[in-house]
Amino acid sequence: MASSDSPARFESRGPTVPQAGLEATSRSLIRRRVGTWTSDRVARLVFIWPAISVVLFLSIFPLVVSLYLSLSRLQLTSSGIKIDFRGLVNYQSLLTGTEQSHFLGVFRTPSPLGWAIFTGVGLLAAWGLVSSVRGRTSPLGLVLRAAGALFLLAITWLFVESVFAPGGRPGALFVTIVYVFAGMGLQYLLGLGLALLVTQRLAGRRLFRIVFLLPMTITPVGIAYMFRMLTDTGKGPFVPVFDALGLQDFTWVNDPWGARIAVMIGDVWQWTPFMFIVLLAALEAQDHEIVEAAHVDGASGWQAFRYITLPAILPVTTTILLIRMIEAFKIIDLPNILTNGGPGTATESLTLEAFFDWRTLNLGRSAAVAYLLLIVVTIAAVAYVNLVRRRVTTNA
Amino acid sequence: MSLRRKAVAYALLIGWTIVVLFPIYWLAITSLKQPIQVDSGPVYVPFLDFKPTLDAWKYILVDLQNDTLRPYVNTVVVGVVSATVALALGSTAAYALVRFEYRPRIGVVALFIGSLALALVAMALGAPAEIAIGGSLAVFVILVQTIGRRFRRALGNSDVAFWLISQRMLPPVAVVIPIYVLFQRVHLLDTQLALIVTYVATNLPIVVWLMRDYFSTIPIELEESAAVDGASPFRIFRSIVLPVAVPGLVATFLFVLVFAWNEYLLALFLSSANAQTMPLTVAAQNATRGPQWWYMSVLIMIMIVPVIAMTIVLERYISRGLLVGAVKG
Amino acid sequence: MRNGWSMRGAGLVASLSLIVTACGTAATPSPAASTPASVPPASAAGSPSAAAQNFAGVTVNVLTFTGPQIAEPLQRRGPDFEKLTGAKINVVTVPFSDLYQKILTDISTGTNSYQAFVFDPQWMGDFVAPGYLLDVSDRVKSDPVLKWDDIGPFFRDFSATYQGKVYTIPLDGDFHMVYYRTDILQKDGLKPPATWDDYLAIAKAEQGKDLNGDGQPDYGSCISMKRNAQAYWFIYSIGGAFIQTQGTGQGAFFNTDNMQPLVNNDAFAAALDIYKQMLKYAPPNQINLDVGDTRGLFTSGRCALSLDWGDIGPLAVDPATSKVQDKVGAIILPGSKQVLDRSSGKLVACDATTCPNAVDGINHAPYAAYGGWSGAINAKIDPKIQDAAYAFLAYMSAPEQSNTDVTIGKTGFNPYRTSQFSDTSLWVKSGMSETAAKNYLGAIQASLQSPNMILDMRIPKTQQYQQVVLDQAVAQFLAGEIDRDAAMKQITDGWNAITDQEGRDTQLAAYKASLGVQR
Repeated sequence: MASSDSPARFESRGPTVPQAGLEATSRSLIRRRVGTWTSDRVARLVFIWPAISVVLFLSIFPLVVSLYLSLSRLQLTSSGIKIDFRGLVNYQSLLTGTEQSHFLGVFRTPSPLGWAIFTGVGLLAAWGLVSSVRGRTSPLGLVLRAAGALFLLAITWLFVESVFAPGGRPGALFVTIVYVFAGMGLQYLLGLGLALLVTQRLAGRRLFRIVFLLPMTITPVGIAYMFRMLTDTGKGPFVPVFDALGLQDFTWVNDPWGARIAVMIGDVWQWTPFMFIVLLAALEAQDHEIVEAAHVDGASGWQAFRYITLPAILPVTTTILLIRMIEAFKIIDLPNILTNGGPGTATESLTLEAFFDWRTLNLGRSAAVAYLLLIVVTIAAVAYVNLVRRRVTTNA
Repeated sequence: MSLRRKAVAYALLIGWTIVVLFPIYWLAITSLKQPIQVDSGPVYVPFLDFKPTLDAWKYILVDLQNDTLRPYVNTVVVGVVSATVALALGSTAAYALVRFEYRPRIGVVALFIGSLALALVAMALGAPAEIAIGGSLAVFVILVQTIGRRFRRALGNSDVAFWLISQRMLPPVAVVIPIYVLFQRVHLLDTQLALIVTYVATNLPIVVWLMRDYFSTIPIELEESAAVDGASPFRIFRSIVLPVAVPGLVATFLFVLVFAWNEYLLALFLSSANAQTMPLTVAAQNATRGPQWWYMSVLIMIMIVPVIAMTIVLERYISRGLLVGAVKG
Repeated sequence: MRNGWSMRGAGLVASLSLIVTACGTAATPSPAASTPASVPPASAAGSPSAAAQNFAGVTVNVLTFTGPQIAEPLQRRGPDFEKLTGAKINVVTVPFSDLYQKILTDISTGTNSYQAFVFDPQWMGDFVAPGYLLDVSDRVKSDPVLKWDDIGPFFRDFSATYQGKVYTIPLDGDFHMVYYRTDILQKDGLKPPATWDDYLAIAKAEQGKDLNGDGQPDYGSCISMKRNAQAYWFIYSIGGAFIQTQGTGQGAFFNTDNMQPLVNNDAFAAALDIYKQMLKYAPPNQINLDVGDTRGLFTSGRCALSLDWGDIGPLAVDPATSKVQDKVGAIILPGSKQVLDRSSGKLVACDATTCPNAVDGINHAPYAAYGGWSGAINAKIDPKIQDAAYAFLAYMSAPEQSNTDVTIGKTGFNPYRTSQFSDTSLWVKSGMSETAAKNYLGAIQASLQSPNMILDMRIPKTQQYQQVVLDQAVAQFLAGEIDRDAAMKQITDGWNAITDQEGRDTQLAAYKASLGVQR
């Protein structure tokens, strides 16, 4: 999980703050001048409203309907659909009822490693709170941060109780969280590394760039089937490799973590190009003369990266991590096609759980899973924007 | 760069190239296999250890001619149009969020949500839709005009942006039925337009977020000097900002194109006979007799060709020099 | 109180839809509702014979999954039917996995883009009660083209029928059989399995031997045990023989007195044990194999035994898919010498009272899993189009057409008519040897004629009972997440929860109706 924190993020405040200040000044500058235009007011509206209204049109209705569905149960009648209002039944069954082991997992006393992780996260949360008390955070902000820290602690506790505990078993929520953070971290590091490599002056770099984008062009359903072919231990291409290693009778599909890792490999293959293309565009947009000047002044490659390149790509970095996080929480095709959520329920993600319910017309519970997912993602995203993104860019 | 570093760099690049290309190679040779050659264990090189056949290609391209062509055309139209529109709407909004300041008042937003709820309650109690919507709109306008000015607390640009991106948080299974009903009511089911509108709406937030970052890296001096010369914001945006932001625009375009090109669940519901797209055709190859790997491989191969072609054409715009040159010029 | 809410709920959704209408532009005609304004008068309305009717100008949209199976014959014969009657047949296909949702969304929202469906009759439970499907009882019985009485009694009286009324026209016969390699069993002096113990013994004997001459060790038995695929059907292929003894009407899923699941007992426990033992004599990744994988393994000669629908028959004779032409035998599902005593939940030995249908002291219960693709007609459309849709489905099912189609591998149609067993010549023409054809048809006939065939579950929310609760518990049991008793408890509790939510009496009535108990 820790791998998702790019090593750069925390030290980035120094170099970016002056830049941000500069931008703020220029912004007010242009506002003063632009403000004199007669078309200014028109432009303000024309630039933003088309986008807002398209999104509004297609988002409000589904949002309200899903919320209502999650509080009810669906029945088919001759006039169509009848929706019985049932209150929080669907949520209750997921969080404390019959579906708990499926949604949250099976909990046991954590192992020492689990305790260590929990303590670590606890200390981190405490440190964050203390420093925001010392800082100039408003009272409301403090309350929100305390609530966020409590939420983090609760999630971490359930996480170690199910993952780092003998006899425990993570449910769809924690499996999804593992997919999200492990996948994101790997994809970012790979994407950044590859983008840095192809911006070097190497022969054939354009060819590599195009090749590296290829996985993105394949439909996710197709990628999932392709990985099912590749990972098949009976007729896939790696069968001789397994045999040579003496693993004829081992197969990843029988092992929960083996299957989860297979899903994550597919996910990394599929989404690394996304990180790659966005970071590549950001790297290409920066001013190379500064980097070269730094080299002339005797800066090492690392120093140039650390103090020039990294600050320049940080805003985009935080954006793609946010977008990728939101998208990764919705992972479905790979676990659905690779293992259909198996072995047992080991690879089932939240969206897949919602999909299974949805497919069998349990729209109420499906919507409840989706809404719980929405809540988790929203909290994660708000925390991320406030704690990380606001520090590295002005337009958080 | 020293020779050793170069060697390491090439080793890494070639290593990842193999990781990327091997699965695609496997698809390519699977499309040349008979079912029995797939089922009886792995074979790797055509002619060397199995006899290739074009049966699967013939089945998809000749026997199913129209059933392949129709979704193919749909995919191209829906993908390109929706990506273009999303890019147009999204980049203007992104520019606006970078250069203008918006302060939607919390009170007004709350009033809007309240009026919406009012309309819903009214309709749930049996009021006709037109009256309920019209009435609550009127209430909204009156309230904004009378007490709207008293609200002080306002949201900022970042909140607008966050609201936009939050529209992607619900998984598609939760929104697909409501969206289906929506398009059914306006009689747009099974049309390319329905898919285009949906993909524009779902991809806009991504465009806005990515482009915001690219725009904010553009030095403001360029725009200022144009503003001094009396150019309108529209003109500045079109002839100064957009050209400079080409790498970001291209990357973003490719990205949303791929999203629309490959989307499955919404396409499944919004289309039936006429507007089906290729991802449905790919998924359909897993039917009662299990995945038809050979057909599926053919379909995936023909599906990625146009995107690759577009990538090759557009890739050069994601290259260095443009921005630097523009600043100097 | 709850009722009031539900009314309001329905109102809410309806009115939300209205907002949308209000926002929408002027109502353009739906492309789907392609009812022509002027339908020429039928020359002989009421006459059941397709050939005698004139449906010129009528278009029938038939929804099924993307073939070639099932869709291919519909598409191929559509133009012939149009020449015959003038009705245009438009076959619309969607991916197999999403067919159910697609049909349901279309009807329940009142879109009605499709006039006929070729689907799984298991879904009748959900579709008949709200009145989505047209009752075709009178039509089929008086139709000289369809030859209703030629259809196997199980498909006619149980599969197509709900509450004594006919709602679907069978196009395909679906049930499980065991397939074995005739050459391997002969070589090792083994007889085809009659009981599940025999099955396990053969699988054990063949596991690890080279069965296709490539020098690699092969597998005793290959069964699809993938989650959310077919694993939840195969457990009942095994358990059925232990649970159901008194004929189809007894039912294998619930006690017809109180709707209690027939799961928490020794019979189901025995089935689970056998199921898990099969993992030992199988490909190591069996819990991730679906029928596509097991069929590939079997036809490439890598398995001695398999459990499957009728599809292996035609697949095994096709040189593009098979290395085992003329080496495949089929036999009715193995049975059991011990059966469930429903009052005590214990297993008792088979005798004349406990197993009236036993053969040689072994109780067989062939399982009509899924139930065979069948045609049904949307009840909410123009009667004229309903007539045309019915005529087309009857035409497809009529012996002249179907007796050829069932012998063609790619149609995916399996035999379901008595006349399809009498003549082996069509089968020989399709590539089977005379012996293989006799063997294959013999196994089908033995299953079809069994009075103890198991009717698949078809009550409201069937998909939740089977695809969610049963499937998940079986998958967790196979993967070792839970043990046998926990699996049985989980299924029992899960099923009871759905039953109670839907209303126990309603569900019991529906279950009895599906079994034809009240007739």
